Amino acid sequence: MISLKNVVKKYEGKEVLKNLSVDFPDGKTTVILGPSGSGKSTLLRSLDLLVRPESGTISFSDISLDYAEPITKKKSFDIRKKTSMVFQNWNLFPNLTVLQNITTAPETVLKTPKKETEEHARQLLSQVGLGEYADRYPSQLSGGQQQRISICRALAMRPDYILLDEPTSALDPELETQVLLILEELSKMDQSMIIVTHNMQFARSVADKIVFVEDGNILFDGAPDEFFNHPTTRIKDFLSGITFDDSQLKK
Amino acid sequence: MWHTIITSLPAMISAMLQFTIPLAIISFIFGLILAVLTALIKFIKPSENKVIKYPWLVLRAIADFYVWLFRSTPLLVQLFIIFFGLPSAGIQLSPFIAAVIGFSLNTGAYASETIRSALMSVPQDQWDAAFTLNFTTKQTLMKIVLPQAVRIALPPLSNSFIGLVKDTSLASSITILEMFQVSQQMTAKNFQPLLMYSLAAFLYAIVCSLLTLLQHYLERRTSKYVKGSEA
Repeated sequence: MISLKNVVKKYEGKEVLKNLSVDFPDGKTTVILGPSGSGKSTLLRSLDLLVRPESGTISFSDISLDYAEPITKKKSFDIRKKTSMVFQNWNLFPNLTVLQNITTAPETVLKTPKKETEEHARQLLSQVGLGEYADRYPSQLSGGQQQRISICRALAMRPDYILLDEPTSALDPELETQVLLILEELSKMDQSMIIVTHNMQFARSVADKIVFVEDGNILFDGAPDEFFNHPTTRIKDFLSGITFDDSQLKK
Repeated sequence: MWHTIITSLPAMISAMLQFTIPLAIISFIFGLILAVLTALIKFIKPSENKVIKYPWLVLRAIADFYVWLFRSTPLLVQLFIIFFGLPSAGIQLSPFIAAVIGFSLNTGAYASETIRSALMSVPQDQWDAAFTLNFTTKQTLMKIVLPQAVRIALPPLSNSFIGLVKDTSLASSITILEMFQVSQQMTAKNFQPLLMYSLAAFLYAIVCSLLTLLQHYLERRTSKYVKGSEA
Protein backbone atom coordinates (compact mmCIF):
# COMPACT_ATOMS: atom_id res chain seq x y z
CA MET A 1 0.00 0.00 0.00
CA ILE A 2 1.10 3.57 -0.64
CA SER A 3 0.05 6.02 2.07
CA LEU A 4 0.24 9.74 1.63
CA LYS A 5 -0.20 11.76 4.80
CA ASN A 6 -0.76 15.51 5.18
CA VAL A 7 0.70 16.37 1.82
CA VAL A 8 0.95 20.07 1.01
CA LYS A 9 2.17 21.31 -2.36
CA LYS A 10 2.36 24.97 -3.32
CA TYR A 11 3.05 26.57 -6.67
CA GLU A 12 4.13 30.18 -6.28
CA GLY A 13 2.48 30.44 -2.88
CA LYS A 14 -0.82 28.93 -4.02
CA GLU A 15 -1.70 25.61 -2.38
CA VAL A 16 -2.58 22.97 -4.96
CA LEU A 17 -2.59 20.04 -2.53
CA LYS A 18 -4.11 21.08 0.77
CA ASN A 19 -2.99 18.80 3.56
CA LEU A 20 -4.18 15.75 1.72
CA SER A 21 -4.04 12.15 2.99
CA VAL A 22 -4.93 9.09 0.98
CA ASP A 23 -4.07 5.39 0.62
CA PHE A 24 -3.53 3.42 -2.58
CA PRO A 25 -4.03 -0.32 -2.02
CA ASP A 26 -1.85 -3.09 -3.45
CA GLY A 27 -3.02 -5.19 -6.36
CA LYS A 28 -5.90 -2.83 -7.04
CA THR A 29 -6.77 -0.15 -9.54
CA THR A 30 -7.35 3.24 -8.01
CA VAL A 31 -8.87 5.87 -10.26
CA ILE A 32 -8.35 9.55 -9.47
CA LEU A 33 -11.08 11.80 -10.81
CA GLY A 34 -11.70 15.50 -10.62
CA PRO A 35 -12.01 18.68 -12.67
CA SER A 36 -9.04 20.20 -14.50
CA GLY A 37 -6.61 22.00 -12.25
CA SER A 38 -7.84 20.17 -9.17
CA GLY A 39 -4.40 18.78 -8.32
CA LYS A 40 -4.85 15.22 -9.67
CA SER A 41 -1.68 15.20 -11.72
CA THR A 42 0.31 16.90 -8.98
CA LEU A 43 -0.89 14.22 -6.58
CA LEU A 44 0.17 11.46 -8.96
CA ARG A 45 3.53 13.08 -9.67
CA SER A 46 4.25 13.44 -5.96
CA LEU A 47 4.24 9.63 -5.72
CA ASP A 48 7.15 9.45 -8.15
CA LEU A 49 8.99 12.55 -6.89
CA LEU A 50 8.53 14.31 -10.22
CA VAL A 51 6.86 16.89 -8.01
CA ARG A 52 8.29 17.63 -4.60
CA PRO A 53 5.62 18.65 -2.07
CA GLU A 54 6.61 21.11 0.66
CA SER A 55 5.52 18.81 3.46
CA GLY A 56 3.88 15.50 4.23
CA THR A 57 5.00 11.90 4.09
CA ILE A 58 4.78 9.03 1.67
CA SER A 59 5.14 5.46 2.90
CA PHE A 60 5.32 2.08 1.29
CA SER A 61 5.35 -1.18 3.25
CA ASP A 62 9.14 -1.06 3.69
CA ILE A 63 10.18 2.53 3.08
CA SER A 64 8.92 5.99 3.84
CA LEU A 65 9.96 9.52 3.13
CA ASP A 66 9.29 12.94 4.59
CA TYR A 67 8.93 15.41 1.72
CA ALA A 68 10.14 18.26 3.92
CA GLU A 69 13.47 16.58 4.73
CA PRO A 70 16.41 16.59 2.29
CA ILE A 71 16.10 13.57 0.00
CA THR A 72 19.24 11.52 -0.62
CA LYS A 73 19.90 9.98 -4.03
CA LYS A 74 19.57 6.53 -2.52
CA LYS A 75 16.17 7.35 -1.01
CA SER A 76 14.88 8.89 -4.21
CA PHE A 77 16.10 5.84 -6.15
CA ASP A 78 14.35 3.43 -3.78
CA ILE A 79 11.08 5.36 -3.87
CA ARG A 80 11.12 5.76 -7.64
CA LYS A 81 11.83 2.07 -8.03
CA LYS A 82 8.40 1.35 -6.57
CA THR A 83 6.53 3.21 -9.27
CA SER A 84 6.65 3.98 -12.99
CA MET A 85 4.72 6.68 -14.73
CA VAL A 86 2.84 6.58 -18.03
CA PHE A 87 2.36 10.10 -19.37
CA GLN A 88 -0.45 11.82 -21.21
CA ASN A 89 1.77 12.38 -24.25
CA TRP A 90 3.64 9.10 -23.68
CA ASN A 91 7.05 10.85 -23.78
CA LEU A 92 8.82 8.03 -25.57
CA PHE A 93 12.49 8.67 -26.33
CA PRO A 94 12.47 9.60 -30.05
CA ASN A 95 16.15 8.80 -30.55
CA LEU A 96 15.72 5.17 -29.48
CA THR A 97 13.95 2.34 -31.26
CA VAL A 98 10.83 0.85 -29.75
CA LEU A 99 12.84 -2.01 -28.30
CA GLN A 100 15.52 0.32 -26.90
CA ASN A 101 12.83 2.51 -25.35
CA ILE A 102 11.82 -0.50 -23.29
CA THR A 103 15.23 -2.06 -22.61
CA THR A 104 17.44 0.98 -21.93
CA ALA A 105 16.15 1.66 -18.42
CA PRO A 106 16.40 -1.92 -17.06
CA GLU A 107 19.83 -2.21 -18.69
CA THR A 108 21.17 1.12 -17.46
CA VAL A 109 19.43 1.43 -14.14
CA LEU A 110 18.88 -2.13 -12.94
CA LYS A 111 21.96 -3.54 -14.75
CA THR A 112 19.86 -6.41 -16.10
CA PRO A 113 21.71 -8.33 -18.84
CA LYS A 114 20.80 -7.23 -22.36
CA LYS A 115 19.57 -10.65 -23.38
CA GLU A 116 17.11 -10.75 -20.53
CA THR A 117 15.79 -7.20 -21.07
CA GLU A 118 15.27 -7.85 -24.77
CA GLU A 119 13.42 -11.04 -24.13
CA HIS A 120 11.18 -9.31 -21.60
CA ALA A 121 10.64 -6.36 -23.96
CA ARG A 122 9.62 -8.60 -26.86
CA GLN A 123 7.26 -10.48 -24.62
CA LEU A 124 5.66 -7.21 -23.42
CA LEU A 125 5.42 -5.92 -26.99
CA SER A 126 3.62 -9.03 -28.17
CA GLN A 127 1.26 -8.76 -25.21
CA VAL A 128 0.20 -5.32 -26.43
CA GLY A 129 0.02 -6.55 -30.02
CA LEU A 130 3.09 -4.68 -31.28
CA GLY A 131 5.56 -7.55 -31.58
CA GLU A 132 6.60 -6.67 -35.10
CA TYR A 133 7.37 -3.01 -34.32
CA ALA A 134 10.44 -3.61 -32.14
CA ASP A 135 12.91 -2.04 -34.55
CA ARG A 136 10.86 0.98 -35.59
CA TYR A 137 11.28 4.46 -34.18
CA PRO A 138 8.43 6.02 -32.17
CA SER A 139 7.83 8.71 -34.83
CA GLN A 140 6.80 5.96 -37.26
CA LEU A 141 3.92 4.84 -35.02
CA SER A 142 0.48 6.18 -34.13
CA GLY A 143 -0.27 7.79 -30.80
CA GLY A 144 -2.15 4.73 -29.58
CA GLN A 145 0.75 2.46 -30.49
CA GLN A 146 3.20 4.80 -28.81
CA GLN A 147 1.13 4.86 -25.64
CA ARG A 148 1.00 1.05 -25.59
CA ILE A 149 4.78 1.03 -25.90
CA SER A 150 5.14 3.49 -23.06
CA ILE A 151 3.07 1.10 -20.92
CA CYS A 152 5.56 -1.66 -21.84
CA ARG A 153 8.40 0.70 -20.94
CA ALA A 154 6.90 1.26 -17.50
CA LEU A 155 6.25 -2.46 -16.96
CA ALA A 156 9.79 -3.39 -18.00
CA MET A 157 11.08 -1.83 -14.79
CA ARG A 158 8.86 -4.26 -12.85
CA PRO A 159 7.55 -1.53 -10.54
CA ASP A 160 5.04 -2.32 -7.80
CA TYR A 161 2.75 0.44 -9.07
CA ILE A 162 2.04 1.82 -12.51
CA LEU A 163 0.98 5.47 -12.41
CA LEU A 164 -1.00 6.69 -15.40
CA ASP A 165 -1.51 10.41 -15.94
CA GLU A 166 -4.49 10.82 -18.29
CA PRO A 167 -3.10 8.08 -20.54
CA THR A 168 -5.76 8.44 -23.24
CA SER A 169 -6.56 12.17 -23.23
CA ALA A 170 -4.42 12.81 -26.30
CA LEU A 171 -5.90 9.96 -28.35
CA ASP A 172 -8.91 9.73 -30.65
CA PRO A 173 -11.64 7.30 -29.51
CA GLU A 174 -10.48 4.37 -31.63
CA LEU A 175 -6.88 4.56 -30.44
CA GLU A 176 -8.12 5.21 -26.93
CA THR A 177 -9.96 1.89 -26.93
CA GLN A 178 -6.76 -0.01 -27.83
CA VAL A 179 -5.01 1.48 -24.84
CA LEU A 180 -7.95 1.02 -22.46
CA LEU A 181 -8.25 -2.67 -23.31
CA ILE A 182 -4.64 -3.19 -22.26
CA LEU A 183 -5.16 -1.31 -19.02
CA GLU A 184 -8.27 -3.33 -18.33
CA GLU A 185 -6.29 -6.52 -18.82
CA LEU A 186 -3.56 -5.31 -16.45
CA SER A 187 -6.20 -4.44 -13.92
CA LYS A 188 -7.62 -7.97 -14.16
CA MET A 189 -4.12 -9.36 -13.61
CA ASP A 190 -4.07 -7.46 -10.28
CA GLN A 191 -1.30 -5.10 -11.36
CA SER A 192 -1.39 -2.21 -8.85
CA MET A 193 -2.37 0.88 -10.80
CA ILE A 194 -3.24 4.47 -10.06
CA ILE A 195 -4.94 6.17 -12.98
CA VAL A 196 -5.91 9.78 -13.52
CA THR A 197 -8.58 9.85 -16.20
CA HIS A 198 -11.53 11.76 -17.55
CA ASN A 199 -13.11 8.68 -19.08
CA MET A 200 -15.98 7.82 -16.70
CA GLN A 201 -17.04 4.68 -18.49
CA PHE A 202 -13.52 3.33 -18.16
CA ALA A 203 -13.24 4.47 -14.53
CA ARG A 204 -16.44 2.65 -13.78
CA SER A 205 -15.31 -0.57 -15.37
CA VAL A 206 -11.77 -0.85 -13.94
CA ALA A 207 -11.78 1.02 -10.64
CA ASP A 208 -11.55 -0.87 -7.36
CA LYS A 209 -11.39 2.48 -5.64
CA ILE A 210 -12.25 6.05 -6.59
CA VAL A 211 -10.54 9.15 -5.29
CA PHE A 212 -12.27 12.41 -6.21
CA VAL A 213 -10.07 15.47 -5.95
CA GLU A 214 -11.22 19.05 -6.17
CA ASP A 215 -9.31 22.22 -5.40
CA GLY A 216 -6.52 20.29 -3.68
CA ASN A 217 -8.84 18.41 -1.34
CA ILE A 218 -10.14 14.88 -1.44
CA LEU A 219 -13.93 15.01 -1.59
CA PHE A 220 -14.48 11.30 -2.02
CA ASP A 221 -12.40 8.24 -1.23
CA GLY A 222 -14.25 4.95 -1.52
CA ALA A 223 -15.90 2.30 -3.64
CA PRO A 224 -16.91 2.99 -7.27
CA ASP A 225 -20.41 1.74 -6.63
CA GLU A 226 -21.04 4.40 -4.04
CA PHE A 227 -19.40 7.08 -6.18
CA PHE A 228 -21.42 6.41 -9.29
CA ASN A 229 -24.69 5.13 -7.81
CA HIS A 230 -25.04 7.20 -4.67
CA PRO A 231 -23.21 10.41 -5.48
CA THR A 232 -23.23 13.51 -3.31
CA THR A 233 -24.60 16.70 -4.87
CA ARG A 234 -21.14 17.92 -5.92
CA ILE A 235 -20.24 14.59 -7.48
CA LYS A 236 -23.61 14.45 -9.25
CA ASP A 237 -22.87 17.92 -10.72
CA PHE A 238 -19.40 16.79 -11.79
CA LEU A 239 -20.71 13.62 -13.41
CA SER A 240 -23.51 15.39 -15.25
CA GLY A 241 -21.19 18.26 -16.20
CA ILE A 242 -18.90 15.94 -18.15
CA THR A 243 -21.63 13.87 -19.79
CA PHE A 244 -23.09 15.24 -22.96
CA ASP A 245 -26.79 15.63 -22.62
CA ASP A 246 -29.10 17.55 -25.01
CA SER A 247 -31.35 18.68 -22.22
CA GLN A 248 -28.52 21.05 -21.19
CA LEU A 249 -28.46 22.56 -24.66
CA LYS A 250 -32.12 23.49 -24.52
CA LYS A 251 -31.62 25.51 -21.34
CA MET B 1 47.36 33.76 -66.26
CA TRP B 2 47.44 29.99 -66.03
CA HIS B 3 51.16 30.11 -65.57
CA THR B 4 50.77 32.43 -62.57
CA ILE B 5 48.12 30.20 -61.06
CA ILE B 6 50.16 27.06 -61.52
CA THR B 7 53.29 28.57 -60.03
CA SER B 8 51.54 29.99 -56.96
CA LEU B 9 49.10 27.19 -56.29
CA PRO B 10 51.55 24.68 -54.70
CA ALA B 11 52.72 27.18 -52.06
CA MET B 12 49.14 28.11 -51.22
CA ILE B 13 47.94 24.53 -51.01
CA SER B 14 50.92 23.66 -48.88
CA ALA B 15 50.12 26.57 -46.52
CA MET B 16 46.54 25.39 -46.41
CA LEU B 17 47.50 21.85 -45.49
CA GLN B 18 50.18 22.92 -43.06
CA PHE B 19 48.37 25.72 -41.23
CA THR B 20 44.84 26.58 -42.30
CA ILE B 21 43.33 23.11 -41.98
CA PRO B 22 45.26 21.92 -38.89
CA LEU B 23 44.56 25.22 -37.12
CA ALA B 24 40.86 24.92 -37.88
CA ILE B 25 40.55 21.26 -36.93
CA ILE B 26 42.61 21.38 -33.74
CA SER B 27 40.97 24.60 -32.57
CA PHE B 28 37.53 23.27 -33.33
CA ILE B 29 38.10 20.09 -31.35
CA PHE B 30 39.38 22.01 -28.31
CA GLY B 31 36.67 24.61 -28.78
CA LEU B 32 34.00 21.93 -28.87
CA ILE B 33 35.24 20.26 -25.69
CA LEU B 34 35.30 23.64 -23.97
CA ALA B 35 31.84 24.42 -25.36
CA VAL B 36 30.28 21.19 -24.09
CA LEU B 37 31.76 21.70 -20.61
CA THR B 38 30.70 25.35 -20.49
CA ALA B 39 27.20 24.55 -21.76
CA LEU B 40 26.72 21.76 -19.20
CA ILE B 41 27.93 23.96 -16.35
CA LYS B 42 25.44 26.62 -17.35
CA PHE B 43 22.65 24.14 -18.13
CA ILE B 44 22.63 21.78 -15.14
CA LYS B 45 20.94 23.19 -12.07
CA PRO B 46 23.11 23.15 -8.96
CA SER B 47 22.24 20.27 -6.66
CA GLU B 48 20.65 20.85 -3.26
CA ASN B 49 23.68 19.22 -1.69
CA LYS B 50 25.69 22.13 -0.24
CA VAL B 51 29.04 20.41 -0.83
CA ILE B 52 28.40 20.49 -4.57
CA LYS B 53 26.19 23.56 -4.75
CA TYR B 54 28.71 26.32 -3.99
CA PRO B 55 31.63 25.05 -6.07
CA TRP B 56 29.09 24.62 -8.90
CA LEU B 57 27.93 28.21 -8.56
CA VAL B 58 31.56 29.34 -8.73
CA LEU B 59 32.09 27.28 -11.89
CA ARG B 60 28.96 28.83 -13.32
CA ALA B 61 30.24 32.34 -12.64
CA ILE B 62 33.50 31.44 -14.38
CA ALA B 63 31.60 30.01 -17.36
CA ASP B 64 29.45 33.14 -17.62
CA PHE B 65 32.49 35.38 -17.45
CA TYR B 66 34.33 33.36 -20.09
CA VAL B 67 31.45 33.45 -22.57
CA TRP B 68 30.90 37.16 -21.94
CA LEU B 69 34.59 37.98 -22.39
CA PHE B 70 35.12 36.15 -25.66
CA ARG B 71 31.88 37.21 -27.24
CA SER B 72 32.39 40.84 -26.30
CA THR B 73 35.83 41.34 -27.82
CA PRO B 74 37.05 40.98 -31.42
CA LEU B 75 38.87 37.78 -32.33
CA LEU B 76 41.74 39.78 -33.83
CA VAL B 77 42.21 41.66 -30.55
CA GLN B 78 42.13 38.37 -28.64
CA LEU B 79 44.87 36.95 -30.89
CA PHE B 80 46.98 40.08 -30.43
CA ILE B 81 46.66 39.95 -26.65
CA ILE B 82 47.60 36.27 -26.54
CA PHE B 83 50.54 36.50 -28.92
CA PHE B 84 51.90 40.03 -28.56
CA GLY B 85 50.50 40.93 -25.13
CA LEU B 86 51.17 37.91 -22.94
CA PRO B 87 54.96 37.97 -23.38
CA SER B 88 55.01 41.19 -21.31
CA ALA B 89 53.37 39.14 -18.57
CA GLY B 90 56.08 36.54 -18.97
CA ILE B 91 54.08 34.10 -21.08
CA GLN B 92 55.80 33.44 -24.39
CA LEU B 93 53.88 31.31 -26.87
CA SER B 94 54.75 30.07 -30.33
CA PRO B 95 52.54 31.63 -33.01
CA PHE B 96 50.80 28.33 -33.69
CA ILE B 97 50.03 27.63 -30.02
CA ALA B 98 48.86 31.22 -29.55
CA ALA B 99 46.56 30.86 -32.55
CA VAL B 100 45.14 27.54 -31.34
CA ILE B 101 44.45 29.02 -27.90
CA GLY B 102 42.79 32.10 -29.36
CA PHE B 103 40.65 30.23 -31.89
CA SER B 104 39.68 27.51 -29.39
CA LEU B 105 38.60 29.97 -26.71
CA ASN B 106 36.69 32.07 -29.21
CA THR B 107 34.93 29.12 -30.86
CA GLY B 108 34.23 27.55 -27.46
CA ALA B 109 32.41 30.65 -26.25
CA TYR B 110 30.08 30.83 -29.25
CA ALA B 111 29.57 27.07 -29.56
CA SER B 112 28.74 26.75 -25.86
CA GLU B 113 25.65 28.88 -26.44
CA THR B 114 24.71 26.73 -29.44
CA ILE B 115 24.99 23.59 -27.34
CA ARG B 116 23.15 25.14 -24.42
CA SER B 117 20.24 26.09 -26.68
CA ALA B 118 20.19 22.56 -28.14
CA LEU B 119 20.05 21.12 -24.62
CA MET B 120 17.21 23.48 -23.73
CA SER B 121 15.30 22.43 -26.84
CA VAL B 122 14.86 18.88 -25.53
CA PRO B 123 11.50 19.03 -23.71
CA GLN B 124 11.19 18.66 -19.94
CA ASP B 125 8.91 15.68 -20.71
CA GLN B 126 11.95 13.69 -21.74
CA TRP B 127 13.60 14.36 -18.39
CA ASP B 128 10.40 13.39 -16.54
CA ALA B 129 10.19 10.14 -18.47
CA ALA B 130 13.83 9.36 -17.71
CA PHE B 131 13.47 10.22 -14.03
CA THR B 132 10.40 8.03 -13.58
CA LEU B 133 12.53 5.17 -14.95
CA ASN B 134 15.14 6.06 -12.34
CA PHE B 135 17.83 7.35 -14.67
CA THR B 136 20.32 9.68 -13.00
CA THR B 137 20.93 13.13 -14.48
CA LYS B 138 24.14 11.87 -16.08
CA GLN B 139 22.46 8.81 -17.60
CA THR B 140 19.61 10.96 -18.90
CA LEU B 141 22.09 13.32 -20.53
CA MET B 142 24.15 10.56 -22.10
CA LYS B 143 21.37 8.28 -23.33
CA ILE B 144 18.48 10.61 -24.02
CA VAL B 145 19.19 14.33 -24.07
CA LEU B 146 22.61 14.68 -25.72
CA PRO B 147 21.76 12.39 -28.69
CA GLN B 148 18.72 14.57 -29.36
CA ALA B 149 20.62 17.80 -28.75
CA VAL B 150 23.42 16.84 -31.14
CA ARG B 151 20.95 16.69 -33.99
CA ILE B 152 19.66 20.18 -33.19
CA ALA B 153 23.15 21.61 -32.69
CA LEU B 154 24.66 20.27 -35.91
CA PRO B 155 23.67 23.04 -38.35
CA PRO B 156 24.74 25.95 -36.09
CA LEU B 157 27.92 24.10 -35.05
CA SER B 158 28.72 23.66 -38.73
CA ASN B 159 28.36 27.43 -39.03
CA SER B 160 30.95 27.82 -36.31
CA PHE B 161 33.34 25.38 -37.94
CA ILE B 162 33.03 26.97 -41.36
CA GLY B 163 33.43 30.39 -39.76
CA LEU B 164 36.55 29.17 -38.02
CA VAL B 165 38.13 27.91 -41.25
CA LYS B 166 37.81 31.39 -42.71
CA ASP B 167 38.86 33.12 -39.50
CA THR B 168 42.18 31.27 -39.57
CA SER B 169 43.17 33.94 -42.12
CA LEU B 170 43.51 36.23 -39.10
CA ALA B 171 46.42 34.07 -37.96
CA SER B 172 48.46 35.83 -40.65
CA SER B 173 48.49 38.83 -38.35
CA ILE B 174 50.37 36.90 -35.70
CA THR B 175 53.10 35.82 -38.11
CA ILE B 176 51.66 32.48 -39.20
CA LEU B 177 52.30 31.66 -42.83
CA GLU B 178 48.82 30.37 -43.48
CA MET B 179 47.16 30.40 -46.86
CA PHE B 180 46.06 34.02 -46.95
CA GLN B 181 49.48 35.23 -45.84
CA VAL B 182 51.05 33.19 -48.65
CA SER B 183 48.65 34.71 -51.17
CA GLN B 184 49.78 38.17 -50.01
CA GLN B 185 53.42 37.18 -50.47
CA MET B 186 52.67 35.89 -53.97
CA THR B 187 50.94 39.15 -54.81
CA ALA B 188 54.02 41.06 -53.74
CA LYS B 189 56.01 39.06 -56.28
CA ASN B 190 53.69 38.91 -59.27
CA PHE B 191 51.56 42.07 -58.74
CA GLN B 192 48.34 40.20 -59.46
CA PRO B 193 46.18 40.91 -56.39
CA LEU B 194 42.87 40.07 -58.09
CA LEU B 195 44.10 36.70 -59.23
CA MET B 196 45.93 35.78 -56.02
CA TYR B 197 43.19 36.78 -53.61
CA SER B 198 40.54 35.13 -55.80
CA LEU B 199 42.62 31.99 -55.76
CA ALA B 200 42.77 32.12 -51.95
CA ALA B 201 39.01 32.68 -51.81
CA PHE B 202 38.50 29.72 -54.12
CA LEU B 203 40.60 27.44 -51.92
CA TYR B 204 38.68 28.53 -48.79
CA ALA B 205 35.45 27.82 -50.63
CA ILE B 206 36.60 24.29 -51.49
CA VAL B 207 37.39 23.47 -47.87
CA CYS B 208 34.09 24.95 -46.70
CA SER B 209 32.14 23.06 -49.35
CA LEU B 210 33.66 19.81 -48.14
CA LEU B 211 32.58 20.73 -44.62
CA THR B 212 29.08 21.41 -45.86
CA LEU B 213 28.98 17.92 -47.34
CA LEU B 214 30.19 16.52 -44.01
CA GLN B 215 27.42 18.47 -42.29
CA HIS B 216 24.77 16.96 -44.58
CA TYR B 217 26.14 13.48 -43.98
CA LEU B 218 26.11 13.92 -40.19
CA GLU B 219 22.63 15.43 -40.31
CA ARG B 220 21.32 12.39 -42.13
CA ARG B 221 23.00 10.05 -39.67
CA THR B 222 21.66 11.80 -36.60
CA SER B 223 18.15 12.26 -38.00
CA LYS B 224 17.37 8.60 -38.67
CA TYR B 225 14.64 8.64 -36.07
CA VAL B 226 12.87 11.75 -37.30
CA LYS B 227 9.69 11.29 -39.27
CA GLY B 228 10.18 11.60 -43.00
CA SER B 229 13.97 11.75 -42.74
CA GLU B 230 14.45 8.58 -44.76
CA ALA B 231 12.65 10.16 -47.71
